[in-house]
Amino acid sequence: MKRSPLKSPVRLLTAVPICDGHDSAINTINLECIRHGIEVVYLGFHRPEADIVRAAIQEDVRAVGISTYNGGHVEFFRDVRRGLDRAGAGHIGLFGGGGGTISEADARLMKRHGTDEIFFPGASLESIVKFVSDRYAKPGKPDAPATPDGRLARALTRIEAHGVGPAKTAKRRHHARVIGITGPGGAGKTTLIDELVLRYLHAFPAGRIAILSHDPSSVGDGALLGDRATMIHSQDERVFMRSMATRGRAGGLSPATERCLQHLTRQAFELIFVETVGTGQEALPFRARPFDLKVLVMNPDYGARLQLQKIAMLDVADIVVVNKSDQPRARAAAAEVGRRLAVNGRGQRLVSAAACRHRDPGVDELFRLVTGAPTEAAQ
Amino acid sequence: MSRLAQVCDAVAAHNRLVANQAVRARTDAKLRAEVLARWEQAHAAIPQVELPTGLKVPRIALPQLDEAGEIARYLYGEGLPGEFPYVNSAYPEMYLDPLDPHEPKPEEPTRLFSGLGLAEDTNARFRYLSRHQRTYRLSTAFDGPTLYGLDSDADGVAGKIGEGGVAIDTVEDMLRLYDGFPLGDADCSVSMTISGPAPILMAMYIAAAKRRFGPQVVPQLRGTVQADILKEVQAQNEAIFPVGAALRFLRDMIEWTSREMPRWYPISISGYHIAEAGATPVQQAAYTLSNGFAYVEMLAARGLDADLFGPRLSFFLDSGLDLEYLALARVCRKLWAIGMRDVFGAGPKAQLFKLHTQTSGRSLIAAEFKNNLTRTALELMLAYANATNSCHSNGADEPFTTPSEEWSLLASHAQSILLEESGLFRHMMNALSGSPGMKVMEQVVEAAILEEFRTIEEFGGVLGAMENRYQRTQIQASAHAIERQISSGLRPIVGLTRYANRDEPPPRVQLVRTSASKKRLQLARLKAFKTTHAAAAKQALTRLGEVVDGGGNVFAELLNTVECCTLGQITECLQERVGKFRPMV
Repeated sequence: MKRSPLKSPVRLLTAVPICDGHDSAINTINLECIRHGIEVVYLGFHRPEADIVRAAIQEDVRAVGISTYNGGHVEFFRDVRRGLDRAGAGHIGLFGGGGGTISEADARLMKRHGTDEIFFPGASLESIVKFVSDRYAKPGKPDAPATPDGRLARALTRIEAHGVGPAKTAKRRHHARVIGITGPGGAGKTTLIDELVLRYLHAFPAGRIAILSHDPSSVGDGALLGDRATMIHSQDERVFMRSMATRGRAGGLSPATERCLQHLTRQAFELIFVETVGTGQEALPFRARPFDLKVLVMNPDYGARLQLQKIAMLDVADIVVVNKSDQPRARAAAAEVGRRLAVNGRGQRLVSAAACRHRDPGVDELFRLVTGAPTEAAQ
Repeated sequence: MSRLAQVCDAVAAHNRLVANQAVRARTDAKLRAEVLARWEQAHAAIPQVELPTGLKVPRIALPQLDEAGEIARYLYGEGLPGEFPYVNSAYPEMYLDPLDPHEPKPEEPTRLFSGLGLAEDTNARFRYLSRHQRTYRLSTAFDGPTLYGLDSDADGVAGKIGEGGVAIDTVEDMLRLYDGFPLGDADCSVSMTISGPAPILMAMYIAAAKRRFGPQVVPQLRGTVQADILKEVQAQNEAIFPVGAALRFLRDMIEWTSREMPRWYPISISGYHIAEAGATPVQQAAYTLSNGFAYVEMLAARGLDADLFGPRLSFFLDSGLDLEYLALARVCRKLWAIGMRDVFGAGPKAQLFKLHTQTSGRSLIAAEFKNNLTRTALELMLAYANATNSCHSNGADEPFTTPSEEWSLLASHAQSILLEESGLFRHMMNALSGSPGMKVMEQVVEAAILEEFRTIEEFGGVLGAMENRYQRTQIQASAHAIERQISSGLRPIVGLTRYANRDEPPPRVQLVRTSASKKRLQLARLKAFKTTHAAAAKQALTRLGEVVDGGGNVFAELLNTVECCTLGQITECLQERVGKFRPMV
């Protein structure tokens, strides 16, 4: 029997509906799924139906799992099912459960509306994981033409599963700017990208962005792909986001990143962000083409100045962002990094930002550098 | 060194002092005489009461000690009921019947959390629950859209209107909600369980009360608004503004109510939702207390006097079935009192950890759900043995639905049986205090809480730990552990993993749901309000925006804004100025 070179794990999207913050059960189920080799794209809590449908299609998951506690579940599951079906994603499964506000009669109705399974309080973690592993072991057969995002998402899945790029098409590379963003865990890369997306959506009336976001695969080879949960502005029709697990590759990216990126650059995107997992000092994740801009995001608390000499990316980054400029050591850190860049003498740009601050001027500056948009002063 | 580290040091210093006093009382004749005299005085001051059976007992039970060292350890380390460090209780008498049978009874500690459908539905439930009560204690649950600061006509929320709580969009809904209740009376108190948009709802409450009773009612208003933004970020996920902005809105509200509403509690620092999200009892207590100290630090930094706002802080804990609950609230009272006195220099009134307890919702099980009556009764017993100041007991049908009238009433009656039928809490303080197990648990729990404080301290305090997702990660890990312990049988659950009756048909319970016609009514009301006030709303929101940008007191301005703007309009206006909350996972 011929086996595909790379095992392709079950990918699942989980979420908690709008106006509901009860994430204890879903967090526990996520952890248990990951332990059993499932890749979970977690969209977070308080999520509208449209965000769930969009994410499920872009991530090309086998199924959507929804945990609901405070009512309105009959309508919500029906809307999600309907949204998927209308977008040519009838093959993506839907299951869920909740804190008991779902009655037996509700569950029957929800199943009639196209929900595969409802778990009641007391359902064991084993039974949920077993259901997911069995029911969604194989991808569903699409029964309707996909949307453009759906087609793109499936192409990326094929690249991830088979390790090969799509057949060479005549299409040239589109004019997308590809921006690699890397840095240690907790430096604020995800927040920074989301803030850049927000500015893009405000500044330009049309045009789309793609994001390839990476999270590490864990022991058991599952992964929690949780960036969508915190990227509130990136859940938008003009953003195509794909969460990738590293699947055994070291250095911050997935084995399929470059090929996926090649494919994405042939699509109509203006900007493509590639976010690595949190990296160490020696990491140089963006070696291959086609990165137009390499951005290193740093915490102010990188340790003693000597540590700066060891951060390899400082030599190759086009832009270095010292994030969390509202923190105590930030000014000193920016000064030290600035001196280091000056020694390099390569015209690298230094930006001090506080991505978590509303309308942060540092992020505005980074946005101008990234998009080439005119500065306010020039206007 | 942050305030949390100072609290740890102060507690250590206090414990050393107690140990020293115990030793000195044995060796120093003068102190021994003093301690023995105080003990004698304490005994002499305790009246005898007669039980219904005719037996005479002391009104406060004290341990049988005749050795000066141990007496000193008790007096300094634990305190008489209502005395520093308040281990036994915040007040001397708590739920005791008055000595003189002609005296009015104290206010019942029972609170029943209710909220369903539209404002008038919840109003009817309040009337039903309070019809036999001496005083009105209205504890309000809001629906999902309200908790997230959204109007009922927001995209995608139609299914959630009036589910799991009451739908409130405008000041007019607020008027309907408490219609007929004497909000300014001394025997009426209102609590609102809302945090993200708390200042907006609080402003609506004040505006509604003013419309009914005139502006002079404001200083009379009694009650609590939850407004605990830190636990939202750590556990309950109903934050809607970035943390910094939310803390500013909160500070503005506390500053205003502390001055204008001396009988109001503008925050209920809550561990309940932390515990319900899966935290251990120690994590619950540690995060609640550390959040409390963080609020105090923030208000003190604003230049507010701890003796002004300190007495207006209240707390909210879960009572579950773990052994720790035998002593949890006792330890919390002690740590809070020491921290407030020794670190923040607060006087006695600001040292009290005034506690509302709710029995654990998480412990209630759908399978063979009538067992939930027993679970809740046990948790109630633990809550009152820990001298909670008020208490909510859950309906047994909560695994399925917003409690129906039948199970709500049973839950309420469970408290009446415990406090009124049973003699445990009516005649004698400390009837259950001070068992060897309770003392052991106090020490173990206290040490574990202080250990958590030190870890939080290493992150640079509560906000630093929060930014690093420390509390969330810990809570999630505990939740996962509990589920695996249930699966493995380490935590047996009767009716589910033990003694389960496999043939039992699914329970028949009455579901409380909001009908489509009611939802339409709410939408129609909202639309009418928006139309009527369209022009005024625009101006009011502009003014509000100016106050936000100009650094003025946002709460004072909200009192005007709510007269003509809806909850959703106000939320949107504020989010435009300060941004949205970015969730943590």
